[in-house]
Amino acid sequence: MEDVALECRDLAKAFGGVPVLKGVSLALRAGSVTALAGENGAGKSTMMKIASGQVKPDRGQVLVGGVPLPHGDPQAAHRHGVAIIPQELAPIMDMKVYENLFIGRELRTRAGLLDRRAMARKAREILDVFGVEIDPQATMRRLPVGLRQLVEIAKSTSGGAKVLLLDEPSSAISEREVERLYAVVRKLREQGVAMLYTTHKMEEIRALADRVVVLRDGGLVEDRPIDDITDDEIVHAMIGRELQDFFPELHPRGEEVALEVRGLHVSGYPSPVDLTVRRGEILGLAGLVGAGRTELLEAIFGVRRSTEGVITVAGKQVKRNSPADAITHGMALVPEDRKGAGAVLSMNVLDNGSLPRLSQFTLGGWLRQRNRTKKVGAAMESVKLRSRGLGQQVGTLSGGNQQKVVLARWLTGSVNVLLLDEPTRGVDVGARSEIYRIITELAASGMAVIMASSDMPEILSLSHRALVMRGGAVAGELTRDDLRSPDVQDTIFRLAAGLSRHKGPDSNAQPTALATKLATKEDGR
Amino acid sequence: MTTQESATRPAAWHLSWPWVRDQLIRHSMVVVMLLIIAYFSYRSARFGTLDNLQTIAIAAAPFALIALGQTLVILTGGIDLSVGSVIALSAMAAAATVKDHPERLWLSVLVAMLVGLAAGAINGFLVSKVNVPPFIATLGMLTTASGLAYVVGEGAPINGLPQNFGEIANNQIFGLQIPVIVMIVGIVALALIMKRTSYGMRVYAVGGNPVAAQIAGVKTTRILFSVYALSGLLAGLSGVMLASRVISGPPNLGEGYELDAIAAVVIGGASLLGGRGSILGTALGLFLIQTLNNGLDILVVPAYWQSVIKGALIVAAVTVDVWSAKRRV
Repeated sequence: MEDVALECRDLAKAFGGVPVLKGVSLALRAGSVTALAGENGAGKSTMMKIASGQVKPDRGQVLVGGVPLPHGDPQAAHRHGVAIIPQELAPIMDMKVYENLFIGRELRTRAGLLDRRAMARKAREILDVFGVEIDPQATMRRLPVGLRQLVEIAKSTSGGAKVLLLDEPSSAISEREVERLYAVVRKLREQGVAMLYTTHKMEEIRALADRVVVLRDGGLVEDRPIDDITDDEIVHAMIGRELQDFFPELHPRGEEVALEVRGLHVSGYPSPVDLTVRRGEILGLAGLVGAGRTELLEAIFGVRRSTEGVITVAGKQVKRNSPADAITHGMALVPEDRKGAGAVLSMNVLDNGSLPRLSQFTLGGWLRQRNRTKKVGAAMESVKLRSRGLGQQVGTLSGGNQQKVVLARWLTGSVNVLLLDEPTRGVDVGARSEIYRIITELAASGMAVIMASSDMPEILSLSHRALVMRGGAVAGELTRDDLRSPDVQDTIFRLAAGLSRHKGPDSNAQPTALATKLATKEDGR
Repeated sequence: MTTQESATRPAAWHLSWPWVRDQLIRHSMVVVMLLIIAYFSYRSARFGTLDNLQTIAIAAAPFALIALGQTLVILTGGIDLSVGSVIALSAMAAAATVKDHPERLWLSVLVAMLVGLAAGAINGFLVSKVNVPPFIATLGMLTTASGLAYVVGEGAPINGLPQNFGEIANNQIFGLQIPVIVMIVGIVALALIMKRTSYGMRVYAVGGNPVAAQIAGVKTTRILFSVYALSGLLAGLSGVMLASRVISGPPNLGEGYELDAIAAVVIGGASLLGGRGSILGTALGLFLIQTLNNGLDILVVPAYWQSVIKGALIVAAVTVDVWSAKRRV
């Protein structure tokens, strides 16, 4: 017990009379990773914010190396070596990497001027320890989110942080970047940093944690070393019930073609795409990040430019580059970036729900209140939205419920083709299985669904058929039987990385990506 | 679940201090307004008269029009700095028109509105199609329109206009001056449009999240264009009313008015980031400023001190709003 770096004792907090944390105690040891698991709303973020001094607890204490921290004083926490990497990073986008690293503790020359050269050199040393190639002279804005995150981590640890609180660090970054994050976390563990890592992903808990702490409804329900607990026990602790039928049964697909895409040239990608989806069919889109899945969905829907090609829905040709026409023909897009592109967070459920089919709810431009309240209410009911009513602002809903709004707002009219981009990203386990149920039910009702996903189990269990994409083109197709075969994951990785057996010339296009991918697969799971 | 709770809550609970405090903070603008009115009424017998109310309304009218347009622009996350100059340009155009066609007053109104609309359309085109930041586009228009106003008057005010030009601002219908009626109609109409039509909802959506709006099929460039065009049109209307009031065409008319309009919108609770605000809020903000102007005039407070008090009030109003927004979360 001697090297406890951070200890929380009996922390309790209520917001507006609603208890969010009900007396939680935990201890982080130096050189260890503790996974803080739990569904959204379980109190994970509040816990982190209290530990880092951003939020004042109603009761309880935070001790760093045995010394109690003053409450609600982030500066003091920082001085004691507690750093938090928030979910939404806030680097200074237009400054360089090394400037970001040294902001607030700039190196100076003897004359008192900024010593840029020394800072850049030192920055390189700091980043090199992590084994990542980041140019200290690069502007922050030009880095992908995952690298920005690493810079933030490097900034806090090089500033002497002994306790690192990572709030859902993998939620905003791509799969490949997650591997790099893992490596950095392991490195920091070797250096003796105590880490608290929020997540609700099982594979992350398994890959990183020494200990797992599960919160549910503001209370601590589990705190055990990782080796003493099974996956089922963790999930059970998180959701408080057995996880039966996580993936619902797939209904047989129909025969009638719902969507046909011929020779679609997506702006920015060299080769055209062809695909066909039938009514009632769920077509999975797999691939590495940057394979062009999002871009393809957006181009089909018309929000991303396509230069050539024919899109037909139920036999009728759709105007390219016109989301309005796509909507008229019964297409619906649920984008990946829910907050940035899906919902208008400042508007309420009713307004968000009426936005895509406004003309249906208006008479000569005037809104028909009763009509839209009824229709939107019914749509939200059909996905079992949990809200205080249609008047609630969408920004105040939980992630899973926001996603339901983004999906259900299309259901006020008939949808022929549903385009889903990472439908469960950032959605907790409980809401996830509900979203799966909704997707299969919508497909069963006759919709054609295209689902781009980086979540392998999702592709394998939820699609009738899957396409693997690479460089904006379809690299391979897998039938339902292929998806059930034991070596399917390997096949998908090979196709995604360009190592398919028939594609000779491309075979060493991205050897590094493939190497990391396969390596992780073997030692990780 | 929560709805039921609040429905079954005993009515007496509503009178508890935290509830009263919440209501006071939430409707801080109304509270401040009432306090100001109470103070001026106490200090001056003239302030509370119906006559004075009309004085306030007449003074408010030209500001109201540009503040309404400004509200829509700010709701989309933009800003229109050019309205003051557009007032000058359209007033000069109206004055020049009426000089040539003294018998056709309607023509001068039409010309002023068209000039305003044209200026607004250029702003809208630059912002929505060319992606020029609104601040820059309308700053350019501010300077350009101001220059053009002097060009129209060849560097001097247009004077010697026929007396009937004053009818536009001074004739009464149902005992109210035309500008006051235009203001009331404008506020009611836009309040309804913003709350009850698909256009209004689209403006809020574009301001709240343009990408999401686009995916929901909203033609965002059209919406953006329209709010600037409307703002210009209303500035044109405001310009001809102001010119008619003074029966001349001073090329510096409306100078700095854009700032008062923006202040009214912001005091009314709108966010400069877009997506949040309302027409009624703006109307309230506007009357707060105008009431203050009027009351301070009656109490013969020197103009410089009036500026100081107004500036402090703007900051105080927004501070309370930020503070209450934080409490609401």
